[in-house]
Amino acid sequence: MNTTARELWTGRILLIVVMAVTIVPFVSLFITALHPPGTYPPGLALPEEFHWNNFLLAFEAANMGALLQSSFIIELGVVPVAILIATLAGFALGHLNVPFKRTLFIIFVLGLTLPFEGIIVPLYYQMREYGLLNTQLAIILPLIGLFMPFAVMWMRAHFVNMPQELSEAARMDGASTWQLFWRVHVPLSRPAIASLAILLFLWTWNQFLLAIVLVDDPEKRTMAGALGAFQGQWGTDIPLLCAGSLLILTPTLIVFLVFQRQFVAALLQGAVKG
Amino acid sequence: MSTSWSTTDKATSRPSAPGPSDDLRRKRRAAKVRRLRTGLPGLLLVAPALAFYGVFVLRPLAATVQYSFYEWNGISTATWAGVDNYVRLLTDPDLLGPILNALQLIIYFSFVPVVFGVIAAAIIRKMGASRLAGISRTVLFLPQVIPLVAAGIMWTWLLATDGAVNQVMRVIGLDGLTRAWLGDFDTALPAVGVIGAWVNVGLCMLLMLAGMTKVDPSLYEAARLDGAGPIREFVSVTLPAVRQELGVAIIITVISALRSFDIIFISTQGGPGSSTMVPGLEIYYLAFFEREIGQASALAVALTVLVLIVVLPLNRLTRSDSDS
Amino acid sequence: MRSAALGAIGLLALAACSPPGGDEEPEETSAPTTSATTSASGEISCGTEEVTVEAYVETGFPVFAELAAEFESQHPNVTFNIREDQFAVITQNAPRILADSETDIMRLPQMSELASDGLLLDLDPYAEAFGWDQWPSSQLEQMRVDDEGRRGSGPLYAMGLNYSMTGVFYNVELAEQIGMTEPPATLDEFDAYLQAAADEGLTPLNQFNGGATGGLAFPLQALMASYGDPSEINSWVYQQEGANIDTESNLAAAQHLNGWIESGYFADDINAIDYAQMMARFIEGDSVFIFTGDWESGNLDTQMPGNAGFFLMPPLEEGGQLGAMSAPLTYGVSANAANPDCAATFLDWVATDETARTIAVEIGGSHPMGPADAFMPELDESSVTAQTLAAGATVAENNGTMDFIANATGSIYAQSWTPQLQNMVAGQQTPEGLLETVQSDYLEQIGE
Repeated sequence: MNTTARELWTGRILLIVVMAVTIVPFVSLFITALHPPGTYPPGLALPEEFHWNNFLLAFEAANMGALLQSSFIIELGVVPVAILIATLAGFALGHLNVPFKRTLFIIFVLGLTLPFEGIIVPLYYQMREYGLLNTQLAIILPLIGLFMPFAVMWMRAHFVNMPQELSEAARMDGASTWQLFWRVHVPLSRPAIASLAILLFLWTWNQFLLAIVLVDDPEKRTMAGALGAFQGQWGTDIPLLCAGSLLILTPTLIVFLVFQRQFVAALLQGAVKG
Repeated sequence: MSTSWSTTDKATSRPSAPGPSDDLRRKRRAAKVRRLRTGLPGLLLVAPALAFYGVFVLRPLAATVQYSFYEWNGISTATWAGVDNYVRLLTDPDLLGPILNALQLIIYFSFVPVVFGVIAAAIIRKMGASRLAGISRTVLFLPQVIPLVAAGIMWTWLLATDGAVNQVMRVIGLDGLTRAWLGDFDTALPAVGVIGAWVNVGLCMLLMLAGMTKVDPSLYEAARLDGAGPIREFVSVTLPAVRQELGVAIIITVISALRSFDIIFISTQGGPGSSTMVPGLEIYYLAFFEREIGQASALAVALTVLVLIVVLPLNRLTRSDSDS
Repeated sequence: MRSAALGAIGLLALAACSPPGGDEEPEETSAPTTSATTSASGEISCGTEEVTVEAYVETGFPVFAELAAEFESQHPNVTFNIREDQFAVITQNAPRILADSETDIMRLPQMSELASDGLLLDLDPYAEAFGWDQWPSSQLEQMRVDDEGRRGSGPLYAMGLNYSMTGVFYNVELAEQIGMTEPPATLDEFDAYLQAAADEGLTPLNQFNGGATGGLAFPLQALMASYGDPSEINSWVYQQEGANIDTESNLAAAQHLNGWIESGYFADDINAIDYAQMMARFIEGDSVFIFTGDWESGNLDTQMPGNAGFFLMPPLEEGGQLGAMSAPLTYGVSANAANPDCAATFLDWVATDETARTIAVEIGGSHPMGPADAFMPELDESSVTAQTLAAGATVAENNGTMDFIANATGSIYAQSWTPQLQNMVAGQQTPEGLLETVQSDYLEQIGE
């Protein structure tokens, strides 16, 4: 038993060290945010006086109200639409007989590995052609498209596991495909859909490349994109930058902590099946 | 397809009666029509997703390939360049360097977090439902949910000359080794790698944990009874069980290394020199700063292909026996 | 697998169709030019209706915002909507901002490609209308670009808020500590002071050289002017035929700089220091000397009053040719600007209005644009602002002004000078290699 106890203790200590390494950057960010604006605070030192005001300053400097609004517009444009059409497609590919099923499957799967950088250049010119540059739609539309491989595969993986008998029974009762989908399958798929929604929410919030390339005005970007602009402008004022970063990352932490259980379960399932 | 219509002459002149082959063909065609008809609702359901994917992903993807054969500044008319952009890609160290850097980042973005993830997961599993296990699972995952941009900002500050990393090193007597980690040619790429590792450890840990919880606990007991130490136990019991999750973790993290952009954009902008330049950033610079759209597109094609080349074999590896 | 192959064929088929960009070329290049002359009344102004001028300016330089605020109060119908970014970000965004957004007036990075791509408004009609063409022509020279992208002549594509000048700033207290009571008269003397500072355990020189901004270009160019002829550097920057940066005297300058690096005169971590950090450390008294420009004068007069001094880079021999990097703080008007007349009116006002000129000097620290005999605000003789203005006059008399070597092409700074200078700091590039590489990149970039 002695060795096991020692193992356990070594394990605990190791774990605590790893946790500390994970947490320290957050702490450092927080402490630095409390230093007087415009200074270069040395490392992890506490300021003589806590400048809580920095958060307010950063909020104003970044025009955070407008940023939040823009981010929510983008979230509302992306997440519901992406969920809806991915669920439809996932249902069809996972549960119905669709011609060219195999081909469609492969087309979507190949998209899973596609780096966004691979298409960002033409996307810029495509958006310019549509006259959408510098609008939230320039982020919303491509993002829905880019999420499709993952989202469709995710929902497909869910629907593949739904028993066929269920659908057959509904068909016997005379349900049309739409009724089958809407009345029978969607209610049973709530957990899968909810998890996907959380993932898409975070990915949209954190989307950087599309935001900085397709939208110039930080007030029409995603939160991560706006943070990039904030750094571009205030990167030389470290405490203010840290305060702004904290403001922008906190909502992601809140969403994660609140929906942690679904989120983790979702990620695991999705990653392994997708 | 078309042959079935064009051979009328010979077919009719032949004495043979409508044989089994003809019959079969008709049946097949009927089946096809039926399949299409019954398949129609399904196709309609796939259509919106496919449309978005087609217009905003496949179309620009095709355009990337197209642009890559041109010389274009984004404003005036492009001129055909053939494979020039690809030739330069393979011969110009400024373009080859970023690809090599990205490959090197795999060590930090993938290998390191996978190893740490495995270790952390093994420890957490042993603790079962203890409080520490639960907390650590949450804490280790936090870096995954925040914007990479924020991670870049935090770490830029930590790794600065006056940052916490150097401060800690001074405290433990490593004064001689302190430096501006992101501004030093020898350490900038590994320093950027540390940021990536920090972000990815949580994901790897969680994936490993998911794999490990599937293992029948009696297997561990059996291993212990056989006198296996923690390492033997891990290699012979745990590892085979988590193969699939391990594969997924490697794939996701390798992709994140190859397509890294956010962290580097924020922390080093590719410098010092071009020691941390990666393909994503180089594409961005070439396209929107130097306005060499063709060259940027050729690099984008190369990056896309590179990801496929690296990931496809990994994918096959993880699937081969666990799916059977 | 088969579908993947099919997909690939489809992509290739698409690739073979018409070239990109073919159909939208003409409208972008031909639109601007005449708007100034077509103003109905003949009078160029901001009018009387509500106007919002979209401006894109550099962070850390409050002079624009101050000027805009003063302009707003003098012209109540005008509102400025100002977006700020660091210079490196502006450099990256410039082509896109000018082509695809409604920015009226913006801080310009190197402008020859922007001008020859038709993204900037030709300001000559305004120059004529406002009489800018009566000013000393050297003021506007750097902002003229011909159709081949060469600067120095051709239409006027930008205007300065003021023209700034660079040299060496020093901390007076620390300078006394190393026995420097007056500025060095020769490069040798300067070297001796640097060595003295090192011997004292001080950081002799600090310079920003991190990220995308290779600030060692400042001392390098100053040394080039000590060793060689400023006009040769200008012809290189202006892309004159046959100009070469890789000359004997420039090599001597680069070697001298490398000597400073090897002697440990610079702070250890300059490859990680950005501009703001350099300034913060200088103000805190962490280094004896820095190379920067008179745009900091106002700031230094407030932050370390009486403790900041300035001198021009000393020549090799006493009384020799003095040179200084000097350039207008360039602002351009977009070819797509919605309010070009108002933007031009603002630029004219900056050079001619007395309050504006006072702001340009006191906040901006640099000499305002405009006629030679125009109003100048009174200054405290001991202020570093007064010192830099006086030095500026000296350089002008000596014909020693040079444009910044980082302004030769749009990407020479980010793609060549910065990485190569960072390499040299790290001992991974030689002075010879530095100039060779920059020259070959330069030739490639100007398409020769």
